[in-house]
Amino acid sequence: MKILVAVKQVAALDEDFEIRADEKDVDEDFLLYDLNEWDDFSLEEAMRIKEESPDTEIEVVVVSVGPDRVDESLRKCLAKGADRAIRVWDDAVEGSDAVAIGKMLAAVVKKEAPDMVFAGVQSSDHSHASTGIAMAAYLGLPHAAVVADLKYSPGSNKATIRRELEGGILQEVEIACPAVLTIQLGINKPRYASLRGIKQAAAKPIEAWGLGDIGMSASEVGEASAMSRVRRMYVPEKGRAQMIEGTIAQQAARIIEIIKEFKGA
Amino acid sequence: MTNPIEITRILFEDFQPQTIHLFYAFGYAAIAAFIYGTYTQIRKYRRGKADGSWGELLCRFWDMVKTMGTHRTLVRRDKKAGRAHALIFFGFVLLFIGTSTITLEYDILAPLFGVKFWYGNFYLWFSLVLDIAGFGLILGLLYMMYRRKWMKLPKLSYARLDRQPGDPDFDRPQYRREDWAFLWSFILIGITGFVLEATRLVWLSGRPSVWDYRMWSPIGAALAHTMQAVGLTPEGAAALRPNLWWFHGLLSLTFIAFIPHTKIKHIFTAAASLMFKDPLAGRRLPRVPDDQKSAGYKTITDLTWKNLLHLDACTKCGRCQEACPANAVGAPLSPRDVILSLREFANNTLNKKELPKEAELDIHGKDVGQVFMETLWSCRTCLACVEICPVAVEHVPIIVQMRRNLVEQGEMEPLLEKTLQTIHKSGNSFGESKRKRAAWAKDLSFEIKDARTDPVDILWFVGDYASFDPRNQKVTRAFAKLMNAAGVDFGLLFEGEMNAGNDVRRVGEEGLYEFLATSNIQSLSDCDFNSIVTTDPHSYNTIRNEYPDFGGSYEIQHYSTVVKKLLEEGKLKLKKKLDYRVTFHDPCHLGRFNKGYDAPRDILKMLGCELVEMGRNRDNSFCCGAGGGRIWIPDPVGTVKPSQNRMKEAGVIEGLQVFVVSCPKDLTMFEDALKTSGYEGQFVVRELIELIDECMDYPEEVVEKEVVAESE
Repeated sequence: MKILVAVKQVAALDEDFEIRADEKDVDEDFLLYDLNEWDDFSLEEAMRIKEESPDTEIEVVVVSVGPDRVDESLRKCLAKGADRAIRVWDDAVEGSDAVAIGKMLAAVVKKEAPDMVFAGVQSSDHSHASTGIAMAAYLGLPHAAVVADLKYSPGSNKATIRRELEGGILQEVEIACPAVLTIQLGINKPRYASLRGIKQAAAKPIEAWGLGDIGMSASEVGEASAMSRVRRMYVPEKGRAQMIEGTIAQQAARIIEIIKEFKGA
Repeated sequence: MTNPIEITRILFEDFQPQTIHLFYAFGYAAIAAFIYGTYTQIRKYRRGKADGSWGELLCRFWDMVKTMGTHRTLVRRDKKAGRAHALIFFGFVLLFIGTSTITLEYDILAPLFGVKFWYGNFYLWFSLVLDIAGFGLILGLLYMMYRRKWMKLPKLSYARLDRQPGDPDFDRPQYRREDWAFLWSFILIGITGFVLEATRLVWLSGRPSVWDYRMWSPIGAALAHTMQAVGLTPEGAAALRPNLWWFHGLLSLTFIAFIPHTKIKHIFTAAASLMFKDPLAGRRLPRVPDDQKSAGYKTITDLTWKNLLHLDACTKCGRCQEACPANAVGAPLSPRDVILSLREFANNTLNKKELPKEAELDIHGKDVGQVFMETLWSCRTCLACVEICPVAVEHVPIIVQMRRNLVEQGEMEPLLEKTLQTIHKSGNSFGESKRKRAAWAKDLSFEIKDARTDPVDILWFVGDYASFDPRNQKVTRAFAKLMNAAGVDFGLLFEGEMNAGNDVRRVGEEGLYEFLATSNIQSLSDCDFNSIVTTDPHSYNTIRNEYPDFGGSYEIQHYSTVVKKLLEEGKLKLKKKLDYRVTFHDPCHLGRFNKGYDAPRDILKMLGCELVEMGRNRDNSFCCGAGGGRIWIPDPVGTVKPSQNRMKEAGVIEGLQVFVVSCPKDLTMFEDALKTSGYEGQFVVRELIELIDECMDYPEEVVEKEVVAESE
């Protein structure tokens, strides 16, 4: 029994960041990296299934596409209890879009042949919300997005899930397994990875795979093969907020004035 | 004149040989029970982990003798109880030595070598000293009985804040029974001893070698005269004596047999606990060995033998509970009950012949005898308990070790978890960018040196609160101006500084602490400086006491010491005096942790302030509630905070104008508490630096000259 969890190392912005000179991205100096918040939940879901069935041998494998720095996030996953970690990278992958990453992950899944695949609903930095589903599409596996609840006993050929829809509605779905599920925040309470745990996880190896290991070529990935490209990244101009001061009566008068202004009276 | 050899006490006179043999049989049985009990106790301690406190045994022994001889730790904050204990202690020691000398002569020296010394003057002095000792013992015990029965001291109540009435371990009536059994049996031994002595005197009133010297045992003699007055004849006494003799003898032997099995064992465990006391307990927390799989204490066998010994030393006196700020505001923590829970747990599991299964050794949980996580998280690690414990129990290191396990299991407040992650990510608890660490210095009219590039005399380790908290930044700027005006050659680490880790370590996140400490030590080792100064007592403590364990030994001073010296040397000149009526709050980490009581008070005096002490001051200072990472854990809504409790204490000082603190966290906690406890407008909370700043006036040219000097 094997559960594969696809994770991503995301970037958070430091305060007072600057945009790169070519205006395509934020200057790398102002980025702080950490594991994507959604992935904390999808890994926890895998760990929950593993720990609730102590009699079944369940292997939790975390996979990520990214450069060396991603090892730090994978170690955090190992510290939380993942059994193996795989990092796929080739310099040619730089600039790939979410669909290409999904294709690479699908290739890993084919090789690993897990019984269940989890990914986060989206990443907090780029928010495409498409990598997991692209992976499912390449695999031709049943899939469900924005999963807020999961009932699954290891080895079973189906699972019952609840998906989060608009307006607080939940949709209960039965899905055939293996399946690809993108996991929503709040499905569980992710555990804390103590720093000692992370340090000790450094002893566990992280498997570094190249494109060759997953049977892909450089032409399938990278900026050239991407279906979209970034034209410009910028900070939009601030809105016109203003503080209204004075007595209550003065403030009220001013608000009426503004409303009238907007109505064009 | 009686032959001195005849002046002695009769032993076993008129006893049948069988009776004597029977008595010896009881004696050996008592000794056997004592030895077996001692063996099981030692076996229990040996089931704990190793501890390196074996060094300098002679020194340790001598310190213990001094502490016990002076009863220093026992008279603190409870003079009467301490003195009563001294009467019992010294009475018992003398009576024990007395009885031992009889055994020495009667059972060893006389039969083996024919040596006798227990007669004549020696005997007379012996009986006088022992009479006084016995009298003192009874007086001491009477006071203790009175205290337990009628004084209704909250610290002597066994009702627990962390359990509900009806829980099997809520108020532990067995402790009360044991206390009374101890007091009664002890006092009965003393009383029957005197009655027996008096009976012997009456019985042998016809024998000059006894009767003529009766005044050498004054209590016995007084009692004998009373007995005669009520009509006791020598024959009557002779008939009474054997029964009394057996009662007294068997009670004493039972007492000895019970020593290792009951609270009486504190005679030995308290002494040993004092002997193995760690002078840096809580100030320097133990490291986790790199090869140890999990951090902290999960099972009772994770405790060291020294911890287990400390558990047994506790005499339930309740002084720790009385001093505990968490307990004072109704939080589910009594340091005493943590110790007692663990003690019961150890006795129930480790006294068995075979160790129970691992699962039965888990000390965390909600069952009887287990320690609740709410209890552990209530601790402020302020060391009030460790500091006052008369028998050197070290509560805080045990609590932190248990928290380390909770942290590893993720059993903590979500907000605390977030803060720890923030500190890991950004190096400070505010989640601010590293770049902003010295942003407070922007508006100064002079530039502060970067210690990473320029050699400095004093390196200023600023700390998180002083760097990022807007209110504290004002104080930080004022201190920079002071140092600049005094011409001190100082510099900062700027973004090379991280949270010092003191509180992270006390939370129990040891891995994160190691990361912070080693990062800071790395930054410091790249700089050229003579000593460190800080305005933050928390940083001060960990750099001073804990960084050496990670290879960073530095000379570090709290600002109060530095400023005091600058004032004394005239490098800082006060332009005016303040005539405020002030009180001073000792920060735990400066005062109790590092004995920095005097410098802030001396400065207040130099400033011209009138200092009125609060009831709890210096070593008994009352924690603001922010220690041990509690500043990152919100107090439950509707509960009184320790800081508010403290405000009430200050509020009763007539005409108080300023509540002076010397710690950034104190400033935050108490300014908040001032508002919430309704004293706003009555007095203000100020950092000592702000008061000094008030007495300075910085002439423009000084500032300009500095700026010029900087640009040269």
